Amino acid sequence: MSDANHDEADARLFLHGKPVEGYEECHEHISPMKAYYAVFGALLVLTGLTYAVSYMSLGPASLPVAMVVAVAKASLVCMYFMHLKYDDRYHVFVFLSTIIFVGIFFTFTIFDLNSRTRLIEEQGTFFRNNYDREPPPTPEPAEGHGEGAAGHAEGEAGHAEPAGAPSAEAPPAH
Amino acid sequence: MSHDHDSPKAHRPAGAGEPHAFMAHHFNTPGQQAGAAKFGMWVFLATEILMFSGLFLAYFIVRMHYPDMVLAAHEHLNKTAGGINTVVLITSSLTMALAVRAAQVGDQPAIKRNLLLTIGFAFTFMVVKYFEYTAKIEHGMLPGKFYHAWDHGYYIEGSPHIFFAVYFCMTGLHGFHVLIGIGVLTWIYLRAGKGHFGPSYYTPVENVGLYWHLVDLIWIFLFPLLYLVR
Repeated sequence: MSDANHDEADARLFLHGKPVEGYEECHEHISPMKAYYAVFGALLVLTGLTYAVSYMSLGPASLPVAMVVAVAKASLVCMYFMHLKYDDRYHVFVFLSTIIFVGIFFTFTIFDLNSRTRLIEEQGTFFRNNYDREPPPTPEPAEGHGEGAAGHAEGEAGHAEPAGAPSAEAPPAH
Repeated sequence: MSHDHDSPKAHRPAGAGEPHAFMAHHFNTPGQQAGAAKFGMWVFLATEILMFSGLFLAYFIVRMHYPDMVLAAHEHLNKTAGGINTVVLITSSLTMALAVRAAQVGDQPAIKRNLLLTIGFAFTFMVVKYFEYTAKIEHGMLPGKFYHAWDHGYYIEGSPHIFFAVYFCMTGLHGFHVLIGIGVLTWIYLRAGKGHFGPSYYTPVENVGLYWHLVDLIWIFLFPLLYLVR
């Protein structure tokens, strides 16, 4: 079997118009030492920047700025220390899709928390706040659940039972 | 055999497809084995990111609801210790990356030296963390119902027990990852001592490296969020 034939039989898959050998395999990249030291220096500088930013009193902008610096540091670590820049694109895809799902998780939760109060007010939904409520009274031995005046006056505070009944009465004042 | 692969048009598989002693029988080539292992590692790292994202979201919600309390409570964290730990973890990330590189080029003493340095930095991180935690526990700044800083003369407005719950959960889970990291780093250090790793086979070094960089990555976000609130 000639070499040309062998190559032709092997190159079943093409990537960017070039035959790929061992497409399911891991492809390595050896960075020069200089690159690692440069990234390390950049990370230290950015750490100093994070520190400086926190003392600059930027007000509401400080959190976004701190996050931008952190993302820059994280990108350096991912691209050069974790070799994502030279790695199989599929690993980049796995990583970035994770970030997208984290973004969905954050966005929808924060969105819900921010819009919930208004919706509750619009719909007039009443939530029982267990924190401010008096503890339910201990059930006393039944001595004829009289609906008399005496029983009613005492029952204002302790009328929460039975719990299941949809009672229309207002919550106790806080 | 490996000279056939030197043509510039073709991508070169890791280790140039040379057989090694740790080749599993169910893989066709060493490169395929390395690729499968690395892909599996990335999927694991994805689950790690998702696990931590829940805690980060909890942090953002607490910060959104109690901005003044978070600002007041974070003043009690030791920024110097946090800063030292940041530099320690970044340096350990460098030594880890250099260990992987040493394995790629087959520099045996450098693999062991860099792994040992990484383990040393990991221990340094945990020692600093120990002193931080001890101070917090002594001052009664504990999560939830265990919070009793007022007994020690610290008065923080609002609900600081929530902040310290978030603080201990986030740094605790991260510290647990550092401990696991010390374990797996020791494991590959011992294997490196037996001369298992070289240009044709360094998958464990690389995957432990990816894990260790992720631990660093999470701290990169934890540090400004917890220690440097403004």
